[in-house]
Amino acid sequence: MTGDERALRAMARSEVAVSVELQTQEMTLNIGPQHPSTHGVLRLVATVAGERVQKLEPVVGYMHRGYEKLAEVRTYTQITALINRIDWISGFANEVPFVVAAERLMGIEAPPRAQFIRLILSELFRISNHLVFLCSFPAELGAPTPLMYAMRERERLMDLIEGVTGGRFHPNFNRLGGVRPAAGGGAQQRKRSQDLPAGFITGAHRAMAAVRGVCDDLENLVLGNEIVQRRTVGVGVLPAARAVEYGVSGPNLRASGVAFDLRKVDDYLPYHLFDFDVVVGQNGDAYDRARVRLEEIRQAVRIVEQALDSLPPGPLQAKVPRVIKVPRGECYVRAENPKGEMGYHIVSGGGRRPYRVKIRSASFSNLSVLPWLLEGALIPDIIAILGSLDFVLGDVDR
Amino acid sequence: MSEPETPAPESAPAPEGRAGSAAHWAQLAGAAAWSDDFRTIKLRVPRERWVEAHRALKEHLPFFSWLSAIDWSTEVAVGDPVEGEPVEERYEVLTRLADVSVGEAVLVSTDLPRDDLRLDSLADVYGGADWHEREAADMFGITFTGHPNPVKIYLPDGFEGHPLRKSYPLLSREVKPWPGAVEVKPLPAAGGEGQAGPEPGGEGGEA
Repeated sequence: MTGDERALRAMARSEVAVSVELQTQEMTLNIGPQHPSTHGVLRLVATVAGERVQKLEPVVGYMHRGYEKLAEVRTYTQITALINRIDWISGFANEVPFVVAAERLMGIEAPPRAQFIRLILSELFRISNHLVFLCSFPAELGAPTPLMYAMRERERLMDLIEGVTGGRFHPNFNRLGGVRPAAGGGAQQRKRSQDLPAGFITGAHRAMAAVRGVCDDLENLVLGNEIVQRRTVGVGVLPAARAVEYGVSGPNLRASGVAFDLRKVDDYLPYHLFDFDVVVGQNGDAYDRARVRLEEIRQAVRIVEQALDSLPPGPLQAKVPRVIKVPRGECYVRAENPKGEMGYHIVSGGGRRPYRVKIRSASFSNLSVLPWLLEGALIPDIIAILGSLDFVLGDVDR
Repeated sequence: MSEPETPAPESAPAPEGRAGSAAHWAQLAGAAAWSDDFRTIKLRVPRERWVEAHRALKEHLPFFSWLSAIDWSTEVAVGDPVEGEPVEERYEVLTRLADVSVGEAVLVSTDLPRDDLRLDSLADVYGGADWHEREAADMFGITFTGHPNPVKIYLPDGFEGHPLRKSYPLLSREVKPWPGAVEVKPLPAAGGEGQAGPEPGGEGGEA
């Protein structure tokens, strides 16, 4: 069944019927910039005829903070504090491709234990991100209950992350060549490299079991919910070719049936050591985008459990000079972040500050397909389609 | 560009290089030169062949990751200039293309002289280029000819200047000096190693 047929079927099922005899007048509908479903400050200018969207233009830039310019006046070690604010739902994951790119330019590599800690924290942030999606998406559709379930388990993850990094949203935990010793440890701890707080491993295992439980709850509550299904199945179908051409990445791309995951093809972190599946959808509709994210939580739990069990001992930090200077050169490193491909193109002029940093964020490209996706959609579906893309305006505007 | 660029062999026989190697992509795109440093393949194409090169690569690398630019300048209003031998004054426009199966990817780059910042739009080839080109137009003042919707994306209407140009000052720094102005902390005296020194790779330098 093609996307068009699916859309027609969804239309036939829809409660809203547009009479062809009625003359409708085109009007402009302004949504946002302040709207709960815009995940930041996004404005949508829709031209509608009756209940149908003729044309929709997203207006972005309300949250532009100029990180690419600011990165030019900060040293490499200071930039991680900026960039974990790009996608604030998954702060730690934003830092990883940047430090890996800078490490490649410097010719150093983080020790295995530091890489494992980076990987575990990245996956914890992925679970956290997808839990936020699975509670905010139904809330935008009018079902506030799942929010309580997802947020409750997410808080366990936040506690774990806070225990290791000292921060809940903005860990700033990566160092060039490794990770920082755990919060509050002081100089003594640095020497003994007691990185993870006592009880982290058992606590993380317990949290993973709880996340597995809440996944089952959410599957019943959200994906099994007939209202959610009616609002999302066949709605906002994104064909794979269109998604690829627009640079749509991450769960949104996989929901359209493309089995592509940077964790499988790139080696910025040692994902090849672990068993996990790339989750794909079949139809590329809003429902699939939600289902892929739920399944990805289960896969991330698998990765975290394996990594916790095989965490190697050793130092947390490779040897780096006291004043970090990065040799002249260019390097692009991308990572599979919770929202899709996040990458940094670092151009180093040989000094202590980068000459230029291009930040490739997932949400910018994911949102750029929105005008196409919403053309011809019903007004009530705007929010369903928008929410299903899982973007954050900080990640769009940077 | 610091890295030495390998000139592409002219009219080489068809299977040039291993599939997925820099030479292979360079030949497909008709690139004048390429580099493959730090595991980042970069193809250099002349601006006349910009759209054509992307059209040739699209079949193999359908994923449009991003488009951006670099202002190569010897005089900078903020940040550090390039150390060592001076750079050639120009704007460089870059795109990143990738596949969605085995993880192949390239950067495609072209140079624009400072007095003629025009480049053909890729929006017909890759739909995703639309927003990225609008961003580059805002930030660098590059005109993408043939762009379907050449309006500002980030900057407010009536904004003057192009913030990511090296000549554009960082206004907050003009108003208030950076508190961490002290450049590099002196190294701790010999023997005083231990508590006083900054953590390696950590807060060394300005804080």
